[in-house]
Amino acid sequence: MVAAGKGNLTDPKTKLDERQAEARAIERAKQGDAEAFQLLYDRHKRRVYSLCLRMVANTAEAEDLAQEAFLQLFRKIGTFRGESAFSTWLHRMTVNVVLMHLRKKGLAVVSLEETTQSPEDDSPKKDFGAEDLNLAGSIDRMQLKKAVDDLPPGYRTIFVLHDVEGYEHNEIATMVGCSIGNSKSQLHKARMKLREALQMYRAEKATGT
Amino acid sequence: MNCNDLIKSLAENEDGISLPQQVHLRSCTACVALVSDLHKIRSIAADLRSIDEPSPRVWNSLEIALRQEGLIRSQSSSKPFVTSFGARWGWARWLVPAAAAILVAVGSIEYRQSASRHLGEYAKPAKLSVVADLDDADFLQEVSDRTPAVQAQYNDSLRSVNDAIRDAQAALDADPSDPDARRALMEAFQQKQMLFNMAEDRPLP
Repeated sequence: MVAAGKGNLTDPKTKLDERQAEARAIERAKQGDAEAFQLLYDRHKRRVYSLCLRMVANTAEAEDLAQEAFLQLFRKIGTFRGESAFSTWLHRMTVNVVLMHLRKKGLAVVSLEETTQSPEDDSPKKDFGAEDLNLAGSIDRMQLKKAVDDLPPGYRTIFVLHDVEGYEHNEIATMVGCSIGNSKSQLHKARMKLREALQMYRAEKATGT
Repeated sequence: MNCNDLIKSLAENEDGISLPQQVHLRSCTACVALVSDLHKIRSIAADLRSIDEPSPRVWNSLEIALRQEGLIRSQSSSKPFVTSFGARWGWARWLVPAAAAILVAVGSIEYRQSASRHLGEYAKPAKLSVVADLDDADFLQEVSDRTPAVQAQYNDSLRSVNDAIRDAQAALDADPSDPDARRALMEAFQQKQMLFNMAEDRPLP
C-alpha cells in the first residue's frame, strides 16, 4: 500500500526496534495506559494529519478529522491482532473518516465522469504553450502543496490517495465507490491541472508578480 | 498517434511506455516535456506525506475524550502510582524509588493513625499538611529559568502527578472508606511534594 522505492533509509535493526517498541505500546494502550496512547499518537500524528489536510485543504477541519481518526483507532485498539501493520490499519481508518466527512458535506468525493475522453481543458493548445513554461528543473514542494490544495475536491482525493499515499487504483475504487477507469481518469486530470498550476506559479515568479 | 491521442492514453498508461506512445515521443518534444513533467509531479508527491504537524490542541482534546470515555484508565491498586510516575523522570529516576519509599513509610504510619480518627475524610496526614499549600503556578515559576528540555520534563511530571491526584481523589469520592484510594491519594501528594522539593533544590525528606 505504501508506494515502493520512496527512500526509507532507516536501517533494518532500527526498524525492528521501532516495530517492537510500537507493539509494546499497543499492548499497553489496550490496558488503558496514557503514555502508550501518547506514544502511538506522536509516532503517527504527522502522517494522519497530513493526509487529512491534503484531502480537505483546511487546517481546522484537518485537525478535527485527525482527532476523530485517532479516537476511533483507540476505541478499537482492543480488537487489533497484528495481522496487518498498525500504520496500515490507522491509515485506512483515517481515509474512511475523511471520505465520510466529505460525503456528509455533500462534496463529490469523485467526479461522476466515467469516460477517459478529454474535455476541452486537455487540448494541445492549453497544454503545449510556450516551451519555456515547461517545468524545467525540480519542482518546489511547497508550490506543489499549494497546487494540490487548490485542486477541485474530486481530483484532489484521487491524487492524494494515489500519488501521495500510494494506494492502487483498485483500492481507491473500493474506498471511494468508483470504477478503476474513473480513478485513472481523475488522477490523470489532477496531474494535468497540477502541471498547469505549477507552470503558472513559475511564470508569475519569473515576471515578479 | 497524435498529441491528443497521447494525452488520452496517459490516463491508462501513465509512463508512456506503450509502443504507440514511444513512437510518438521519439518525434514530439512537447509531449516528451509533458510526460517528464507528469513524472516529476508524481515522484515528488510522496514528499507531501508527513509534511505537516498538528497543533497541540489535537492531542489535548483527544486525551480529554479518551479519559471521558474511560479508555485511559487510572492505575489499579496492584500497580502503584510510584512506578509510572518514576518512569517519566529520566535523569532523576534514581531519586524517586528511594525517596518515595522513605515518604511512604513515614506517611503510611501517619495515615493509619489519622484514618481511624477521621473516617470519610480526605487522607491528608498531619505531616503532609504542607501539601495543601502546593501551588502549581509557583512551581512553574520556579522552573521557568531551566533549559527547555528540563522545563518540559518538569511540566510533564507535574501533569502526571496532578492526573494521579485527580484519579485517586475521584476514587475516594466514589468510596470514602476505600483504603487503597486513600493510600493512592496520599502517595500522589507525596510525589508532588517531592517534585516541588526537587524543583526548589531542597533536600528530599
